[in-house]
Amino acid sequence: MSRNLKLFIMVLPTIILLVIFTYIPIGQEIQIAFENYNLYNLSNIYFNGFDNFIDIFTSVDFNFAQIVLNTVIWVVVSLVFQFTLGFGLALLLKKPFKGRGIYSGLVFYPWAVSGFAIGLVWAWIFNGQFGLINGILMRLGIINQGIGFLSDPHFALASVIVVNIWYGIPFFAIMLLAALQSVPEELYEAAKIDGAGRFRRLVNVTIPYIRPTIASTILLRTMWILNFPDIIYAMTNGGPANSTNTLANYMIIKMYSFYNYGQAAAIGFIIMSILMIYAIIYLSIFSRLERGII
Amino acid sequence: MKKLKIFLRSLLKFMALGGYLIFALIPLYWVLITSFKGPKELYTFPITFWPKSLDIENYKFLFSFANFGIYFRNSLLVSLGASFGALIVSVLSGYGLSRIGSKKLSNGLLLAMYLTQMIPGFLLMLPLFLMLSKFGMINNLFVLGIIYIDMVIAFGTIMSKGFFDRIPVSLEEAALIDGCGTLEVLYRIVLPVSLPAIMAIFSFFFVNIWNELFLAVMFLSSNDKMTIPAALNSFISKAGISWGVMSAGLVVALLPTIIVFAFAQKYIIAGLTEGAVKE
Repeated sequence: MSRNLKLFIMVLPTIILLVIFTYIPIGQEIQIAFENYNLYNLSNIYFNGFDNFIDIFTSVDFNFAQIVLNTVIWVVVSLVFQFTLGFGLALLLKKPFKGRGIYSGLVFYPWAVSGFAIGLVWAWIFNGQFGLINGILMRLGIINQGIGFLSDPHFALASVIVVNIWYGIPFFAIMLLAALQSVPEELYEAAKIDGAGRFRRLVNVTIPYIRPTIASTILLRTMWILNFPDIIYAMTNGGPANSTNTLANYMIIKMYSFYNYGQAAAIGFIIMSILMIYAIIYLSIFSRLERGII
Repeated sequence: MKKLKIFLRSLLKFMALGGYLIFALIPLYWVLITSFKGPKELYTFPITFWPKSLDIENYKFLFSFANFGIYFRNSLLVSLGASFGALIVSVLSGYGLSRIGSKKLSNGLLLAMYLTQMIPGFLLMLPLFLMLSKFGMINNLFVLGIIYIDMVIAFGTIMSKGFFDRIPVSLEEAALIDGCGTLEVLYRIVLPVSLPAIMAIFSFFFVNIWNELFLAVMFLSSNDKMTIPAALNSFISKAGISWGVMSAGLVVALLPTIIVFAFAQKYIIAGLTEGAVKE
């Protein structure tokens, strides 16, 4: 047996697993999106064209336009703050100081925890009666009565986004810190000689140098946040009054609470289409980056 | 004047570092405190910021009445088992892809793996559930473990290939000429120098699998099969589970991956940033 064949056989288990448990299911997911498929009525599964999509777009209880808007706000606001705060943390950690290793462990650990579990912890922190935040605000005399952060539609989306920001800071800090450490010291020296202050060095030296890392982490993270229902599911499950529902969480609701698999798959199909379009944009931006155009 | 400026700057930096630290640690502090509060103290006004007495009732309840020992065992079993399985499969394929003669084949397969990375797990759970329930393979920790392996191997392959690519082939060529087999070369020569990468990949797998919620909820229906996230999910709607017991459960859910991160931080960060930064 040739060496190449042996090497190919080593790759085979991975290929087989991915075909059976990823590629075939994707195909089926698309098929179910166009079927009347309900757990309560399994004897009556049939092709129903675009009915699932029409039902989703016209639903009164789950206003689709609001869900899309929520999703956009969820992604954009989370991303902006995750990036800025993560970048800030990376800048603070760039120069070595005593205890930096331990310190970074203590601020980076959110990367490793379960979004669902930490979402439940934060739900308790935001609790309208006995939560930590209301407790502090009351102790300081700012409020007399607890604020229903997660039960008031005005506060709910902002609250879950705060948690998502908390969860995502370490990723950006870790990636950007590594990039910062790769910037050659000579570049800074040269800028210093030219009389550039701290801020100018950041804008004119640091950011241009680590631009590829900035672009790739933002692009990757956008997709990741879009597909991340864990925190919302744990804290509000899309409520109150649909005010925190995103596409990803909506799909889970259709599956777990309504057992309407046809509509769940249709939402999945919409998410997949967005991902596909996004991937094309991602790849074109990335190839330009590689060629140094951006 | 210059001294004052330097002093102010380091004070500012110190305060910023402190701010990040407090923000990061708030949930850990609050979940720990809550888990040690007795039922009376839990629901009183004004709330207490430090428990009056360290009450371990919540943990006792958790492990006796709420069967948390079983969930912990299930989680540990499936996380360790699937991580080991996935490690073997993805090291093999990562090495295969790295050394295979045809660049075209290797790039094509790699692209197929990158594509799967775009698909979030919760999108696949419906078709997987319907497919496996046809064969009566749901509510089965072993089957769930296989799905978890599938969920992480593409990433593991990409990561290990990246690492193997940077190990010079010359060492292996000498061994091959001496008559060592392909697997033997991998086992004797390549793996010993790849331990940091193996550590990073394994930690990634463990953290991801330990934390997985949606597939576990969908696939595990009976109480004795549940993993910790699935059990916590069932707690939400269960009567008689106070926030104190819930917090104790959350502590047990959170600590293992935090410990893994603490020990493997160096490798995880190296693995995460690998390839993201051009040198």
